[in-house]
Amino acid sequence: MELGKCAEARSADCGEKAEEIGAGHFQLGEEIRTLVSAPPDSGSSFTALLELPATQAVKLLHSPELEETPPAAELPPVFPACKLSVFLGAGNSPETGSIPVKQEPTDSDSPPDNSLPLAADPMAVNGDRKLTKRKEREKKVKGPAKKSKTASACETDGEKLPYVHVRARRGQATDSHSLAERARREKINARMKLLQELVPGCNKISGTAMVLDEIINHVQSLQRQVEFLSMRLAAVNPRIDINLDSLLAAENGSLLDSNFSGIIMPSMWPEGQFNINRQQYPQVWHQPVWGREEGNPNFITPENSLLSYDSSANSGKSYFLILVN
Amino acid sequence: MHSPSQLKRDFLKQWLKGLQMCSYPKKEMSILERKKAIKLSADVAMASARNATSCWGLALIANASKEGNDKCLVEHLLGQESERGKMASTFQLAILHKKLRSKKIIKKSCSVRRVKKLTPRMVLASSVAKRLVKNRTKVLKSLVPGGESMDEFSLIKETLDYIVSLRVQVDVMRCLANASDLLNCKGVHG
Repeated sequence: MELGKCAEARSADCGEKAEEIGAGHFQLGEEIRTLVSAPPDSGSSFTALLELPATQAVKLLHSPELEETPPAAELPPVFPACKLSVFLGAGNSPETGSIPVKQEPTDSDSPPDNSLPLAADPMAVNGDRKLTKRKEREKKVKGPAKKSKTASACETDGEKLPYVHVRARRGQATDSHSLAERARREKINARMKLLQELVPGCNKISGTAMVLDEIINHVQSLQRQVEFLSMRLAAVNPRIDINLDSLLAAENGSLLDSNFSGIIMPSMWPEGQFNINRQQYPQVWHQPVWGREEGNPNFITPENSLLSYDSSANSGKSYFLILVN
Repeated sequence: MHSPSQLKRDFLKQWLKGLQMCSYPKKEMSILERKKAIKLSADVAMASARNATSCWGLALIANASKEGNDKCLVEHLLGQESERGKMASTFQLAILHKKLRSKKIIKKSCSVRRVKKLTPRMVLASSVAKRLVKNRTKVLKSLVPGGESMDEFSLIKETLDYIVSLRVQVDVMRCLANASDLLNCKGVHG
């Protein structure tokens, strides 16, 4: 079917055409006309296109922009122009997330309302990028003159917001392509800054590649530490039994400021193993705090029965007891 | 995000549960097996302590439950939530893979060669930098569990999460190791 072929050709060409479409809407219209020239009945091809994004087509039909284009002959090129972007939207619908969508560039010539119906399309779930550009196009009516670039606060929250307000700075290219990429890059840079703060020693490094290097090293060292520690734990204890019932009971009981309290040490501890003076390990106990004593046997002082370690910061302390047989 | 202490407590609880479950089935395990079991239980505990809010956690659990040996262990560890957790994780992974594949297809079909207006020297520098960054992101993707099926942006977010949880894991494990060392010392001296 030539209608089907026309639709396919259009969708295939839209990728290439999107970049080549340079100056304005009318030029776009010209090129589209050449595209459309093969099937003489552009109206029917248009209806073929209509099959795909039916709802958007309806919106397009009702869009105010169409009323602005007086000549009827203008309509067929205009529609396919809109359809191009819709096709791009359809092409992008399976994906989610931030792939820069190629679109017709905007500029002052293009009617800003062209974007509105498409902005409302149901594929906006993925198309926060698309909608970014729609909004930008609306804003960029004046032209690529001096503008300030601001990203709305909600942009940093998530990727699912419909509108991201991005404007171009002075002297920067203002086609939607680079704007979207710039927005994306800004998001990524913000996250990278967070990472830089997290990883020690990354603050002074500039340049994405070096920072990534540091991050990779850090992650690798942490993973190696985990391996090493698990090996150490495996070597130390022949068997690790933990008196979980009391642990959990203590957990449910009184929890004093992020401590979970001591655990009963049953009398199966070998005698005399823990008759150790407190003075021997004063430095170990940062703060021998425990939430609750649960009937500790007499020969074990509470401080010894609990091992308290203030791990890194002064914030939580974790208390646990290991029974080793 | 949880406070670190809260995370530590959660992790520790889960891990101790897991360890207990690990040790009961087999009385005699070689050291390597023990190490593996410990590490596995720690990882799974870490992932589940995150309560499925992180992609890497799900990926970790899914990977762990794929292999035959560890499958039972993971199932035990996750307990009643295992069915839900596993299904959720595998489902999400499948979705991610599908998304990734479709993304790639779309990219290929709509790929456009951009005209580079830079001088050859500039092109070289920027392309070198880009190549470096690409290589590094590849490495990072291989490090973070489930990183392959993520785009750059969520990769960074997952890396953040992963680093925090790894730190917590290391801290708790170190405490445990030190404690057991101390106990052993006591045992030796006393």
